[in-house]
Amino acid sequence: MRIVGITACIAGIAHTYIAKEKLVNAAQEMGHWIKIETQGTIGVEDRLSSEEISEADVVVIATDIGITGRDRFEGKRVVEIPISVVMKSPKALVKKIEESYLKRLSESA
Amino acid sequence: MPVSEIIDPASIVLDLPASNKAEVLDFLAELLYGNGVVSSKEIFKADVLLRESEGKTGIGGGVAIPHGKSEAVLRTCITVARLKDPVQWESVDGEPVALVILFAVRRDDKNDYFVKLMSQVARMLARERFCEALLAAESERELLDLFMENEERK
Repeated sequence: MRIVGITACIAGIAHTYIAKEKLVNAAQEMGHWIKIETQGTIGVEDRLSSEEISEADVVVIATDIGITGRDRFEGKRVVEIPISVVMKSPKALVKKIEESYLKRLSESA
Repeated sequence: MPVSEIIDPASIVLDLPASNKAEVLDFLAELLYGNGVVSSKEIFKADVLLRESEGKTGIGGGVAIPHGKSEAVLRTCITVARLKDPVQWESVDGEPVALVILFAVRRDDKNDYFVKLMSQVARMLARERFCEALLAAESERELLDLFMENEERK
C-alpha cells in the first residue's frame, strides 16, 4: 500500500513531528511505502509531489487544525483523524487503513 | 547543533520526588536558575505555564515536553528530569508522566531554530525503544549518552 499524508498540530512544534515519525515507523514496519508532509510553525517540509499523491492508495490527514493544499487530494481516498490518534496508537491506525484498503480491493476485484 | 550539546549535563535529574506537575516545574525552574540558565525563576515558570495552558505537552508513553520561550532564559538548553513516581500531566494518552524534558529557549532565538531543535527531539522520542531506554537509564551519564547515540548527525 502506498500512503501519503499530512501532520499538523495547533502549536506546530512538537506533535506534528512526533506524529509523522510514529506514522512512518508504523507503516514501514508493516511493509508499506509512506511519505508524510509536515505543516508546522516553520512552514511546510517534505512537501508531497503531485506524482506521489496520484500514485498513493490512501491519504492520511492527521491534524487538529486546518491544513493547506487540501484540494490536491480531490478524488483520493482520504482518512482524516485527530493527531492524538496517531500519537496514541499508530500501529492500530495503519492496520485499520490497511484493512479498509484490502476490503476495497476485494470489492472492486 | 546536535541535541546532546544543548542538554545541560548539570540539569539532568534522576528519581526526582514530586507529587504533581507544579512541583516538577518549580524544581526545574529553581535548578535552571541555580545553573545560570535563567535569570528569573518566576518569569521563566510563568512562560512555561502559559505554554502549558495552550495545549497538551504530554506526548504519550509517560513522556512530557514542556517548553518556555522566555525573556528570562539566558542560554537555550534542554533539561531532563525523571520522576521517582509518575505525576498527573495533560497528555495525549491520558497517562501520567514519568519523564519530563523541559526546553528553556531564549526569546531572541529564531523560531525555526527552536522548532528544528524540538522536531529533532520529537523524532527521537517517537521511537518507543528510545523512550523505554530513557526511562530505564541508571545514571545521568547514561541518559545523556542515550541522546548522543540516538541523535541525527549532520
